[in-house]
Amino acid sequence: MAQVIAAKTRPTSAPWKRRNSRNILLVTLASVLPAAVAAAVTVLLGLDGAIGLLVLFVPLQLIASVGIGGYLFKKRGRQDAALIVFTVFFTVLVAVLLSSVLVAVFEAGLRMMRWSFISQNATYISPTTSLDYGGLGHAVLGSILVVGFTTLVTVPLGIGVAIYLTESRASGRNFIRSLIQSMSGLPSVVSGLFIYSAMIVTHWSGQSGITGSLALMPLMLPTVARVCEEALRLVPTDLRSAALGLGAPNYRMFLQVVLPAAKSGIVTAVLLGVARIIGETAPLLLTVNPSAGTNLNIFAGQIETLPTYLFGNLSLSTDYSVQRAWGAALIVLFLVLIIFTLTRAIGGNKQLKTPKKRK
Amino acid sequence: MPVETKPAPQRRRLTVKPTLLGDRIFFGITTGTAYFSIVLVVLVLIFLMIRAWPAFQHEGIGFITGSKWDDSVQPMIMQIFPMLYGSILLAILGVILAVPMAIALAYLIEFLAPKPIARVVTLLVDLLAALPSVVIGLWGLFVFSPVAEGWAKLLNHYLGWLPLFANTSGNFSRSPFIAGWIVAVMIVPIITSVTREIFSQMDRDLINAAKALGGSMASTFTKVILPTASGGIVGGTLLGLGRALGETVAIFFVLNLSFDINWADLTEARGGSIASMILGKLGNASDYERSGLMAAGVVLFITTLLINFLAGYIVNRAQPWRK
Repeated sequence: MAQVIAAKTRPTSAPWKRRNSRNILLVTLASVLPAAVAAAVTVLLGLDGAIGLLVLFVPLQLIASVGIGGYLFKKRGRQDAALIVFTVFFTVLVAVLLSSVLVAVFEAGLRMMRWSFISQNATYISPTTSLDYGGLGHAVLGSILVVGFTTLVTVPLGIGVAIYLTESRASGRNFIRSLIQSMSGLPSVVSGLFIYSAMIVTHWSGQSGITGSLALMPLMLPTVARVCEEALRLVPTDLRSAALGLGAPNYRMFLQVVLPAAKSGIVTAVLLGVARIIGETAPLLLTVNPSAGTNLNIFAGQIETLPTYLFGNLSLSTDYSVQRAWGAALIVLFLVLIIFTLTRAIGGNKQLKTPKKRK
Repeated sequence: MPVETKPAPQRRRLTVKPTLLGDRIFFGITTGTAYFSIVLVVLVLIFLMIRAWPAFQHEGIGFITGSKWDDSVQPMIMQIFPMLYGSILLAILGVILAVPMAIALAYLIEFLAPKPIARVVTLLVDLLAALPSVVIGLWGLFVFSPVAEGWAKLLNHYLGWLPLFANTSGNFSRSPFIAGWIVAVMIVPIITSVTREIFSQMDRDLINAAKALGGSMASTFTKVILPTASGGIVGGTLLGLGRALGETVAIFFVLNLSFDINWADLTEARGGSIASMILGKLGNASDYERSGLMAAGVVLFITTLLINFLAGYIVNRAQPWRK
């Protein structure tokens, strides 16, 4: 005779039944209450904000979340709560660090912003001269020239490497790809040392804008090549086959079909390359001789760039020069943000960039 | 009627090599640029080696293993072990701080957060990657250092019995602890982007299967996601390690360089970094000292190149679907 055994309902079964209003209220409380308690205690005891956050809020939040999670869903609730708390904590930590950088630069930099700071150069300016005189106009011009020349040299090279990696069937592609990959981790100071030892110590050239440009090249090349390769890889093979099938030679196929299709990706590659090197300091410190005056000739003479201006003023470490350094940091940050926005605007369709696995 | 037989057309030679002149020029140029990148790396090595040779020859293996830098004797003694060790210590410290942050960010972006939040966090990480190291250095010197000094003092106060946080000098500024945080800030984006890439390409069926079998978020994360992505995470961490070793300007401002070797007293104001040492000493170096700095550059270059090659290999192995 069959005996019916009533199965005991497990506490974790039917989790959807647990989404009722009481439980949702509990979860909400668990996420709000610790913050409130921690804030109150911090203010009442007059603790340091960061310490209060770390020593008080995080453990409280952890205890509350894990407690409620465990009460509602037993073991899995506890584990999930801990995972979420840690994930959010680390994310917020990174966000706080980043916004601290941005706020500090904007706060100190905006105090420095005035027309004379952008338009004038630093001739006759000593570390103690009033902030109303002198500026970094010469450094902005120098940076544009040096980075511009690097871009002129590097972009064709980078695109060439990308074409080699995507269009040709050569056997060395894997090696070149990993070489480019590891070049992207080339320490910037080594790149500066290279040009220093190859051109300046050997007296081929004095320290000038051009040596700075060349020192930036190995840093920019991998970025341009890699992003370009991604862009070319996104062009469908069918387009290429169609062009070749109609009888086009490879180079016309590339120039008239692939290149127009990958245009925005290539512009993004150039922009990202510029963003990579615009604040690069170490190679320029070794290869460029900073000046106080404006110099538009990158082939000879001293030339100032934004990063070296920042570094120089910071090294002087008087109140005024540090102020100027913050101003320069704001300008650099501003340029980076412009490039950043441009790349977002151009490469807006992010879905294209990460091909999802097709079923 | 005689059938006029045409001779069979000659079989076309099958070839993968370009035959047209235009194609040959096109591929010739691109191959040239690709080989130029090899030439570039070799040139870097050759030029540094030529300049560095006197120092290597004179110091021998002691250049790497010794720990003395003395320019009061003739010829001066140059040994960089404290700097090399300091670089590695900072890199490891940075990685330890950065990896949890990076994994958390990647997990949040790919699996946890709703799309709008994920997009904002992605933006944050990309922005952090775009910040120049000199700006981070400026921030580290004036904004972060005082805060981190407070943290170091607290650690020393409560955990001072650990040799790690012991501090006999009472000076907490410009320590490896602070520099390690700065390095972590610099390498979080690269580790995050590699980890994210791996997470996003992971087979969704695997994760759905784990959930269908009753796995919770936490068990799916620890038992399915992490093991599957471990190769990519290790590779990304190595890439971060390579960046950390080469970090120059940011560390230059927040670390006190000292040839008195600091094994693991994180909060003491003594530390080392090859890249920062090169930057600091090159300006007023004698000819011979310059060759020593070049030799330090060679050591740095080879170390990072090897680490990056290894990292690239591991990351590629972790994505077998990518050719």
